[in-house]
Amino acid sequence: MTRHALLFCLALPAAGFAVDFNRDVRPVLAQHCFKCHGMDEQGRKGKLRLDLRDSAIGKGKSGELALVPGKPDASEVIKRVFSTDEDDVMPPPHTKSVLPESAKNILKLWIAEGAPYEAHWAYVPPKQAALPIAGVHPIDSFIQDRLTKEGLKPSAEADRFTLVRRVYLDLTGLPPTPKEADAFVNDKAPDAYDKLVDHLLASKQYGERWARRWLDLARYADTNGFEKDRPRQIWPYRDWVVKALNADMPFDQFSIKQLAGDMLPNATPDDLIATGFHRNTMLNEEGGIDPNEYRFYAMVDRVSVTGTAWMGLTMNCCQCHTHKYDPILHTDFYRTLALLNNASEPTYFIPTPEVSAQQKAQAAKIAKLEAELPAKFPGGKAAMESRFAGWIEGESHRASKWEVIRPTKMTTTMPHLEQQADGFILGSGDISKSDVYDLSFKAPIKGVRALRIEVTSHSSLPNDGPGLTNYEGPLGGFFMSEFQALQNGQRAKIARAEDTNDDEDDRINDAAASNPKAKAKAAAKKKNNAGATLDGEMSSGWQVLGGYGVQHAAVFHFEQPVDLTNGLDLKMLFEKHFACPLGHFRVSVTTSDHAEATGLPAEVEDALATGDKSKQEMLLRSFLETAPEMEQAAKPLLIARKTPPRGQATLVMEERPANNPRVTHRYYRGEYLQPKEEVTPGVPAFLPALPKDAPANRLTFAKWLFAPENPLTARVTVNRQWTSATYKQSSRITPELAQKDPENILLARGARFRLDAEVIRDSALKAAGVLSPKMGGPGVYPPQPASVTSEGTYGKVEWKTSEGEDHYRRSLYTFTKRTAPFAMATTFDAPTGESCLAKREVSNSPLQALTLLNDQMFMEAAQAMAKQVIAESKTDDERLQNIFRRVATRPAAPDELALLKVFLQKQRERKVEGEALWADVSRAALNLDEAITHP
Amino acid sequence: MNTSNITRRHFFQDCAVGTGKIALASLLAESAYGVTQSPNVTAPTHFPPKAKAVIHMFMAGAPSQLELFDNKPMLTKYEGKPLPPSIIGGQRYAFIRPDAAVLGPRFKFAKHGQCGAELSEMLPHLASVVDDIAIVKSCRTTQFNHAPAQIYMNTGFSQPGRPSMGSWITYGLGAETRDLPSFVVMSTGSGISGGAACWSSGFLPSVYSGTRFRNTGDPILNVSTPQGIEAGTQRDTIELINAMNQRRLKLDGDSETGTRIANYEMAYRLQSSAPELMDLTKEDEATLKMYGCDPKVPSCARACLLARRMVERGVRFFNIYNEGWDAHSDVAGNVKKNCGITDQASAALIKDLKQRGLLDSTLVVWGGEFGRTPMVEASVSLGRSLGRDHHPQAFTMWMAGGGIKGGVTLGATDEMGFNIIEDETHVADLQATILHCLGIDHERLTFSKAGLDFKLTGVEPCHVIKQILA
Repeated sequence: MTRHALLFCLALPAAGFAVDFNRDVRPVLAQHCFKCHGMDEQGRKGKLRLDLRDSAIGKGKSGELALVPGKPDASEVIKRVFSTDEDDVMPPPHTKSVLPESAKNILKLWIAEGAPYEAHWAYVPPKQAALPIAGVHPIDSFIQDRLTKEGLKPSAEADRFTLVRRVYLDLTGLPPTPKEADAFVNDKAPDAYDKLVDHLLASKQYGERWARRWLDLARYADTNGFEKDRPRQIWPYRDWVVKALNADMPFDQFSIKQLAGDMLPNATPDDLIATGFHRNTMLNEEGGIDPNEYRFYAMVDRVSVTGTAWMGLTMNCCQCHTHKYDPILHTDFYRTLALLNNASEPTYFIPTPEVSAQQKAQAAKIAKLEAELPAKFPGGKAAMESRFAGWIEGESHRASKWEVIRPTKMTTTMPHLEQQADGFILGSGDISKSDVYDLSFKAPIKGVRALRIEVTSHSSLPNDGPGLTNYEGPLGGFFMSEFQALQNGQRAKIARAEDTNDDEDDRINDAAASNPKAKAKAAAKKKNNAGATLDGEMSSGWQVLGGYGVQHAAVFHFEQPVDLTNGLDLKMLFEKHFACPLGHFRVSVTTSDHAEATGLPAEVEDALATGDKSKQEMLLRSFLETAPEMEQAAKPLLIARKTPPRGQATLVMEERPANNPRVTHRYYRGEYLQPKEEVTPGVPAFLPALPKDAPANRLTFAKWLFAPENPLTARVTVNRQWTSATYKQSSRITPELAQKDPENILLARGARFRLDAEVIRDSALKAAGVLSPKMGGPGVYPPQPASVTSEGTYGKVEWKTSEGEDHYRRSLYTFTKRTAPFAMATTFDAPTGESCLAKREVSNSPLQALTLLNDQMFMEAAQAMAKQVIAESKTDDERLQNIFRRVATRPAAPDELALLKVFLQKQRERKVEGEALWADVSRAALNLDEAITHP
Repeated sequence: MNTSNITRRHFFQDCAVGTGKIALASLLAESAYGVTQSPNVTAPTHFPPKAKAVIHMFMAGAPSQLELFDNKPMLTKYEGKPLPPSIIGGQRYAFIRPDAAVLGPRFKFAKHGQCGAELSEMLPHLASVVDDIAIVKSCRTTQFNHAPAQIYMNTGFSQPGRPSMGSWITYGLGAETRDLPSFVVMSTGSGISGGAACWSSGFLPSVYSGTRFRNTGDPILNVSTPQGIEAGTQRDTIELINAMNQRRLKLDGDSETGTRIANYEMAYRLQSSAPELMDLTKEDEATLKMYGCDPKVPSCARACLLARRMVERGVRFFNIYNEGWDAHSDVAGNVKKNCGITDQASAALIKDLKQRGLLDSTLVVWGGEFGRTPMVEASVSLGRSLGRDHHPQAFTMWMAGGGIKGGVTLGATDEMGFNIIEDETHVADLQATILHCLGIDHERLTFSKAGLDFKLTGVEPCHVIKQILA
């Protein structure tokens, strides 16, 4: 991204002069006419289109000519808009859309001039324009030219204190210290300003400040949103944005990585982290939601945000219908959605050299613990061998010989199943609240008495599986409600079933999660085991919780021996108030008459059942790890196996495999329950097409945004940041400017506005000398009133205020809880991360005054400032100036100093002395208009 | 950027071209707090208003209409049997299967008042004011999960990001008071699923967001002077800030500085007006008793009493969230408990407003985000029994006061209480009606954003519920 930033958002020029279609006519037609006479076929009335000249000059349903170029009086449009007859007048009275006289006259004038149409300016590729004034910065050239036409002059350059404060705030989001300000003010070199700008652009704080603006668009937050609003780990994405800005990453790369970094050739971990951009959508984990409905909303949001962030297009209207004013079709929306829709949404553990070193060390530790185990047996080698022989003897009688069977056919209601080399079946893709797996088997095995389902973790699954649950419920778990075996459509009756995790806590009751009593009660009522899959009751079943290294099995006993040569069909139903299908499992059968769920690993049971002497070593290890007398000795090993070093987690996108693409439909009226025809991926038809030689996917789309013929992206982006001499003007609002240009659209003065929430807090911390320079890492918890998160929130969350350095971090790092955002930030208009925000509101409220006056955070800043000022300065005057300059950059004027001294005197009369006295002054200073205003 | 100037300019632009939009209080963005040169900035309305203020008692979690308002003896008759699929259609549920058996009403119903409206025995206090309220038994929503349904009821859209009803109303009508926020929110229960999105100003200027009043700590965040700072110093501090800012205003000419000066004065007033509002020591014994309010204990009763005090002091829109009605198990116990918390207080609010002559100008709205199923919710693994799941097809709300005809019951559901058969009233109709009582035409209270004119009631056609208007 170019670092020639700055802050002017250019608006369109106001109306005036001769009629210009795009400037004067299009807005009138768009606001008042296109709803019924535009491109939307369904909304069209009287078969008349006014958005295309060819049809507008033709006959409407009434047989009249709508537009007769050059002849307004012969044009039906003019007759209708000027009509006083309720039945004739346009727009019709029931629309409550009233056409102003000025707009009617514009239409008249335009038709008189021949009714010329122009393509929408935003969709025409930008062209190099001639500079109206030579010898100045191109931006100044245009602005000064316009000001001259308006009879205005640019304001004088701001004084150097103002300038240094402005540049610091804009580029770093922090004010200069008095010393930093003086360095610039006293630098008489002609390039002092350029040096200052370069210096600040090169600072780390630059990325922290400008990342915040991008994170507004990215709707970044640290929780999932909606009711439960649980925390999520995606701060590595936030840090990636800071790093990318500080590394001066070109904007096309910056964008392509965020939209499709996972699809780049040789994608790096950073490229994957960047795809967190579209993982910032909310996730509803409320009990009983339909997960695919909320995935649909997330996809709709992704399309809209992509439109806003890169194309400056309001695409979300087209979620429900063809756009009334812009040339975007209903189908265009879903074709764009299809481009983004083919990704899975995994959690990614970021590999780093440190993590791989930890993993190596862990592997070595495990090997060592394993090797040491025999020596730890009580009583020595002889005792061990004797006990081991006895164990083999006993366990061999329990063990059965199992044979893995592989499905000949697998169908499911939604998840995608694939067979693995080891006989396991791996699930992926989307899941629903009621999923059914139908598996068909055929094998030359007769007399099958029992069937076993092994479930084990797999790194591709949420929370490592073995289930596919990825929201609300126990992550990575599954819940098998019912299990049936059939032969030729007839039930092969199952007498009973048992599993290896009967003692596992259910942890499934929402209410129980935060309430120990309810939890204990729920555990006592536990009915979830493999036997419950046979009871015909949907609400009970076999549940396994997710996690690393989980290994369990259930064994189902047939009433009568089954002949697999005739085939066997298994039906598994996974149903709950959250989606809960199985993700990694294997089916085996046995003819053994004493089969049971032994809890032994499959290979151990097999070696025991077959008496395979070559597996002695494995058996010994299994014995040593499970023997009661080894419980203490084996513990460190078992713990080490369960806790692998993983690296930091973050949320990413991952394109789905070619054999399981996600199908996208058009949704009637944008409603999730009304999917219509399937759509192919593509960009809106009115824009340049995707390249023909590339697959229509996310990556191609991301690159297309930066194609030279695309008119939108460059225009949108450059309008967010400009620099010039115009920037250096004084921001004083003279009565003339207040009258002629209250909003400063013509830029005859510098921009004066209240600072962003983050800048206000960070400025106070820097002025107080306590701001931490620490960058990156998990969100932190600066002080705020306890009731912000403890009242009215789900689970009444406690805000645990950070201690030490994290108490004073930049606001970029404050933990963002969507349903109960950091109070000070909300009070000063920071977004909640619930939707994409291109431009913040700037409000002015008494709650802001209360925050600055009374909030603990600002009180602490005032106290810290007082301590430093007392140590640094001696006299009242020096101390007052020290405080004033920390806060406002410039020195206080004599009359301001006089006001401050009166205050000082009053407080002394109130017997306020020492640190408390100077904290009072500091506190007042932090509340000044100037302290929170961009000068 | 200068918010107030933008809105002001747009207003004048509209006027100049005569679009017919009335002078709503968008004139002054800061009018949500009444901060302005002239006191009591109120805007003219589309037509004469009946109500000046709204108290919305949001029964979050969704009360069971079948245990409170909508008596269905047939459910008792068929208890234990499933509903035919022809009734259920394709409805999705949060927890239960559509073929779950029906559950009969857990309480007895009787007719009350001159109007003879039927209420369950769980609402004895409401029964005593039943001739003052209009009961709508045919409410319907599109959402079947709490967070989206609460956000929908408040903002007309199921996901966060749109302005809430209180925001629209204060944006449209401005402030009646300079000493308190115009849009106040309190929570008296276990947690609001929809979160801050329920009282957000959405894309309206953020001064129109609801101001939370807290049960613990400062009623308004940071409304107390910090410890160690005496009152005189606080006053001196504000005077110093404003004197310095006055100087700045003269120099730079930025009207925002002027607004800030007014805001510091307002903040100072809030420091005394908020505690004064919360201080119930001057309420007489009879009043406290009528509400069942212990002034020291945060409760729904206390919030209802505060509601009357707020209305007296000019608060425009007060939202009380009483959460806890989510009866997935033991619906009888749930209703009993929550009626114990809310029934006396709600009825007392009506009586109190009436005896003080405030009911005619105050609209009281009572209800949840959806209803509960005629079918039972029971789950072995969740340990649930005799509960009811979420039911978006039909639920009951009541309204009273400014603009509403008392003693009316509108709408009906089928004999199993599943579908509406008479006078279906959608959420948008409720919203349109609330605006109507305040003198606002819901189709003309709009805000232009990204080329669209947004309104609270959305794009689907909707209507004011004329049958319940006075």
